[in-house]
Amino acid sequence: MALVGVSVSIEAVQENKIQEVTLDGQEIVIPPLSMSESLAKSAQKIDFTEDGSEDHSAKTSEEETGDKEAATFQPSLWPWDSVRNKLKTAYTEVGVLLDVLNIAKEKKYMVLTHVQQDTSEPKSAVQLLAKKKGIMLQSLISGLSAASAVLLSGAERLKRSHEDKTGASSDKFHMELLKLRQSWRLKKVGNAIIGDLSYRSAGSRFWQGGTFEVTKNTGTSSGDQTDVGSALQNPLQVVIPSELEGTAYVQVEIKSVPDSMNLMSATLQMPDAIGRTPPNSHWQERLDNAQNLLFCKELFAQLAREAVKMKSNVPHVVVGNQIITNIFPGVQLSIVLCHSSNKADKKGVLQGVSQPARTDNKPVLEHSLHQLLREVHHKTLHLDPPQPATATFGFTKRRRLAGPLGLSRADLKEMADSETLLEQIIQQARHEVLKFRTMATIDRLAEEVRDPQIMAHWSCLNSPLQSNMKIIITSSGYEAVRSQGLVTFQSLDLEIGVDSLKAVTKDRRVLQLGFQEKEVEDLIRWQISQHHIALSQNIARMIGWEVLGCNGCNGVGAMEGFASSSSIQLVAPKNDRMLLIKSGPTSGLHVFLKIDNKDNLDPSLAALVDPKWLNLGGTFREIDMEQIEGGNLATKLELIMAMVCKKR
Amino acid sequence: MDPSLHQALKTGIAPLHEYFLQGSILDASKEYLIHRLRGLCDHADSQPEQFNDHEMVFMLSGQQQAPFTVHLRHSLLAPECWHLRYVGVAEMGDKTRQTLVRTCLDVGVSETIIKFLNEMGFRMEYEFVARGIFFHKGIMKVTVTKMFKMNQVNDTKSLEPVSASHLVEVSVVASTSQEQIGEDMKNFAEQLKPLVLLEKVDHRKLQPVTSQTNT
Repeated sequence: MALVGVSVSIEAVQENKIQEVTLDGQEIVIPPLSMSESLAKSAQKIDFTEDGSEDHSAKTSEEETGDKEAATFQPSLWPWDSVRNKLKTAYTEVGVLLDVLNIAKEKKYMVLTHVQQDTSEPKSAVQLLAKKKGIMLQSLISGLSAASAVLLSGAERLKRSHEDKTGASSDKFHMELLKLRQSWRLKKVGNAIIGDLSYRSAGSRFWQGGTFEVTKNTGTSSGDQTDVGSALQNPLQVVIPSELEGTAYVQVEIKSVPDSMNLMSATLQMPDAIGRTPPNSHWQERLDNAQNLLFCKELFAQLAREAVKMKSNVPHVVVGNQIITNIFPGVQLSIVLCHSSNKADKKGVLQGVSQPARTDNKPVLEHSLHQLLREVHHKTLHLDPPQPATATFGFTKRRRLAGPLGLSRADLKEMADSETLLEQIIQQARHEVLKFRTMATIDRLAEEVRDPQIMAHWSCLNSPLQSNMKIIITSSGYEAVRSQGLVTFQSLDLEIGVDSLKAVTKDRRVLQLGFQEKEVEDLIRWQISQHHIALSQNIARMIGWEVLGCNGCNGVGAMEGFASSSSIQLVAPKNDRMLLIKSGPTSGLHVFLKIDNKDNLDPSLAALVDPKWLNLGGTFREIDMEQIEGGNLATKLELIMAMVCKKR
Repeated sequence: MDPSLHQALKTGIAPLHEYFLQGSILDASKEYLIHRLRGLCDHADSQPEQFNDHEMVFMLSGQQQAPFTVHLRHSLLAPECWHLRYVGVAEMGDKTRQTLVRTCLDVGVSETIIKFLNEMGFRMEYEFVARGIFFHKGIMKVTVTKMFKMNQVNDTKSLEPVSASHLVEVSVVASTSQEQIGEDMKNFAEQLKPLVLLEKVDHRKLQPVTSQTNT
C-alpha cells in the first residue's frame, strides 16, 4: 500500500544490452540508439510499396479527425468542382490584388513605405575574416597574373630562340664567347660573366678598374624589324662602365710661344672628335677603345701628379686636361688628354685653337709616353729573381749586393732615385727641339753659303736623348785634293744631347755649345774660314807656290765678331809675286796681290842691287773675287796663280 | 710599446716573419706542376728562372744555450751572391693560422763570411746543393727544388740526388701580423691541390731523421 505524497515515477529501464564481457570483467555495452538511428529503424519498417489500401485507411482515419476537408475532397461529387476551385483561387487572388491597390492608392489605413535597408551591422569577426580573405585572394590573383606574364614572355623568348631561322643562336653565343676568351680574361661570378680590361695584370696600380660584363644579346623587337640588322647583330654584347665609354688619346705638342714666360695664357683645348664608337660596333673594338682610354687616363694622371709634386726651376701648370711647361725659353710643351665620349657633343667652343690643324703634335713623343708607362708597369711586375733562391725578394741585384760591396749612403740614395715620367718626357722633348733646330740651322747655312759645300750626315741610330751627326765642308771639284797626305776638307762631329751640343773638330778639339742656334752657325762659319785657308795652302803646294806663312788665328787686324780670322801668305815660284789670303767668319774672304813697282826703282841702284831685293817692298792690292771666273775659291785661286805666274 | 718594436728600434733591424708552406712532388709529375705554376704565377710568357745554389749550414754549439744555426747559401750561377740566413723555429699548433710562421733574418754577405764564421766558432754541420726553378706571384715566392748530396766536402761537381722527389715551397717574407698573407697563400695552395699537397709540416717530427743523415 503506497503512502500519500510519495510520487512514483515510471520510466524505462536504462538498461542497455551488453555486447561483450572482456576477460577482466569489464562489460562493453551497446550504446542506445540515437534519434536518427531510431528514425531510420522505424522508417525501414514502413513498406512503401502498398499504396491504395494504405491511403484508403489513411483517408478514413483523416475523415474521422477532420471534417472540413471531407466535402471538397470527394472527386466524384461534381464535375465542375475543379473549375469552381480554380475560380475561387482566382477570386481570392484578385481580391488580394484589389486590397493592395486600394492601400497603395488611398493611403488611409495603411501606407506603403520603403523598407529600411539593413544598415551595416557591426562587423562580426567572421565578416572581417571574410573580407581579409577576399583581399588576400585578390592580391594573390594579381601576383599570379604578373608571374604568368613573366613566364609567358620567357616561354615566348625560348620558343623564338628555339625556332630561330638563322640557326641556333645560343650556339653562336658560345662561339663568340670562345673568341672573346681568346683575347680577354673572363670570370664567372654568380650568373654573370665578368671580364677585366684594365692593365692590372700587366703591372698597373691605377685606382680605376675596368670590369665589363658579357651578356647575351636577345634583341627581340629591334631584331624583327630589319632583317639585315638581325643577321649582322652579334649574339654577344659587352657592357662597359659608363666612365670608360668613348675614345681617347694623349696629344703632345711643342709650340714656340714668343711671349715666353707667361704660362697663364694657356688656352684650354677641346678635343676634336676622332670618332665615336657607335654602340653597335663589334665588341673587340669597344673593348679596345675602353682599354686605351683607361691607359691614357692612367698616363695623364701620373703625369699630372708628378707635375704638381715636382719641384723644379720651371713651374709646370696643370689645367683641366692639359699640362703645360716651358722646356726652353720661348718653347712650350703641352700634353693634353683628349677624351671624346659617346655622349652628345660638348657645348664648348674651341676658343680659337685651330681644330683640324694638328701639325704641331709629335707622335714620336706620344708613342714614347706610352712606352714609358709600359716600362713602369713592367718594373712593378718584373722583379729580379733572387740568386741564391733564399735571398730577399723584390730587390735588384745591385741592391742586394749593396751590403757586401759596402756602398755608401750616397750610392744607395742615388740608386733609389729614379726619374719621373714627366722629367723623362721633358728631356726627350728638349732633345727633339734641339735636334730640329740644329737641323734647320745647318740646312739654312748650306743654302746660303755657296762657296764651300756643307754636307751634313746624320747617323741612323739615335737614342731619344742623343743624336750624332757629322758636317763636312768641301769645295766642289777639289774634295780629294791631297798634298802631303792632308785631305782638304773640314769636318765636325756634332753630338746633340738634351740641352747642349758637343762639337769635335777635325783636329780633335772638343767644344761645348749651348742650345742657342747661333752658336752652331758661328761654329760652322768659323770652320768655313779655316777651310778657305787650308784649301789655299793645298792648292798652292799643288801648283808649286810656296807658303811663306800660315796663321790659323790672326792676332792682329780688326777683331772679328766671334772667333778669329786666319791668313796665309803665298809666294810665286819665281819669287816675284805674293798672294795674301785672309778669311774670317765675319769679315769674309779677302785676297791681296802684291804689285811691285819696278818703275820707281832708282836706276843708279840697279847695278848694286840684285833684282830679287826688289821684291821686299810693294803694295798689296785687293783682288775683287767676284770678277774672277771660277766657281769657288779653289778655281779662282788657280786662275789667279796661273795668270800671275806667266813669264814677264 | 710593443717589446719587439722596442727591440727593433734599439738594434735597427726590422723583425721579419716568413710565412711558408711546404710539400713535395715526385720527379715524374714535376712537369705538370711546372706547367701549372707557369700559368698561375706572374710572367707566364717568359721562361721560368732557374737557380743552382750551394748551401752550407753552420752551427754554434755553446755550453749553456741551445745550438745556434745559420744557413749560408750562395748561387753557383752568380758566384758573387752570398746570403746568410737565420730562421727561428716555427710555432706549431695554432689552428687559426693557415701557414707556418717563423722569424727570419737575412743578410747579404761576401765569400769571406766562411772564414769569419769559423773564427767566431761556428762549425759546418752539413751542406747540399739545391737546384730548381723559381716562380713568383706578387710577393709570394714559389720554388721547386731538387736537393743533391755532395760526395766530398766543397765539391759541387759530384752530386747525387737525395731523393726521387722535388721539394715545393711557397713563402712570403713580410713584417708581422698580416693575416691576409696566410689566407692568400692557402688559396694559392688550394689551386695546386691534386698535384702537390702544401701544408704546415712539423719540423720537430723530422728532427731525428735529419740528425741521422748528418755525416
